[in-house]
Amino acid sequence: MSRPLLSLYSLDRQKLQDLSSKLRELLARDDRAAISALLGLGEELARRLAAERWAVGLFLRPDEDPLAAPIFASLRRVVKRAALEHLWTSESPALEGRLRAYDVLREEQDIAETIDRLLDSARLPWFLQRPGGTGGWLDDEQRETLSKRMEALGPALPDEINAFVEALSAMDGDALVHDRL
Amino acid sequence: MLPVGFFDRAKAVFGLQKEAHAPGSTPAQPAPSDGRKNKADRPPLPDVSGAASATIEDVLVARTSGSFDEARALLAAIDKGQGLRTVLRAAAALEAHDEEDVTKLLPLVRKDSPAWQLRLQVAASLEPGPERDALVRRAIELGAPPWSIAWLRALSPSDEERRAGLVDLLFEDAGLARTVAARDLGFTDIKVDNDAIRRYAAFAHGRDVIRRFGTTHVVALLARADGRAE
Repeated sequence: MSRPLLSLYSLDRQKLQDLSSKLRELLARDDRAAISALLGLGEELARRLAAERWAVGLFLRPDEDPLAAPIFASLRRVVKRAALEHLWTSESPALEGRLRAYDVLREEQDIAETIDRLLDSARLPWFLQRPGGTGGWLDDEQRETLSKRMEALGPALPDEINAFVEALSAMDGDALVHDRL
Repeated sequence: MLPVGFFDRAKAVFGLQKEAHAPGSTPAQPAPSDGRKNKADRPPLPDVSGAASATIEDVLVARTSGSFDEARALLAAIDKGQGLRTVLRAAAALEAHDEEDVTKLLPLVRKDSPAWQLRLQVAASLEPGPERDALVRRAIELGAPPWSIAWLRALSPSDEERRAGLVDLLFEDAGLARTVAARDLGFTDIKVDNDAIRRYAAFAHGRDVIRRFGTTHVVALLARADGRAE
């Protein structure tokens, strides 16, 4: 099984927040028809959702649960369409390891801390966290500061990191990275 | 033969003194009432030397059997000056109208940290109503995080409230939501979250112990600690 590749997305935080609030409201009301419509579920998945004790029960199941997995996939598709724009995917499976452990980066405390934030899945909404996956986000200011600081180290960094820095510098706004969206 | 000390009590619990549990038998000591004597008029608490290794479970068993003074003595033996044991010890002193002990222990109860947690554990032990609402309000004033309030809501007797609380919990702390759904709400297809289980266990243990201990005097104790009582 090949290691997943990190991708970079432009994040519209307001739209993500709006979608999250809508889903939360519908789950609290247990409005299964509206949840099915929001997620664009087909007839079969909508029927599965309707058969649950509460809709929220399905969203609490493990990511790999056969009943829940296609619904999680639909939810992530809706999130991507609404709030994320794919900008770049690394060609190197080693990028995450380099970002987490490359000594030149780790010796710079502010850079290391910002990278750790960018790769901290716990900062993502629950529906973007995936078991064994990597993901995280930075706001526009943090992203810009990080890309400038890393650009300055460019000659001392390996190619896969420099390619990432180039993509990070070329974008505007908040950034989200993920390897399993 | 009536059990007279901690080890006798333990024997009784494990069925080694069956007569202590004979059907229709009278509890070893009556439940306390408002008419209990003041400390000056009371005999000292039972000698439970050697009970330092006792547990809260022993205390609860003693109380269930009606041995309230023995339970207090056990609490005094195992109290480390902080946490749930101190709170229960103070509540038991309040129950026994032992004002001297209450006054001594109240500052420790006030220092219990995080202060919101105890209020919510007690609230979780109560039926919905003004008393429970007041404890939740106080917990929020003391900094209760949103996940803790969501958890309490997820344990509500009302189906609708429980569902709404579980949804809140999912958005505040998904791992804990899975754990609560699996442990407290009977969702068999949901797996507990290993990272959340410690927090779950700490909160749920306190809630369950307070429920078994009896909430009345813990509520009264907290009212005094918060300056809301006489």
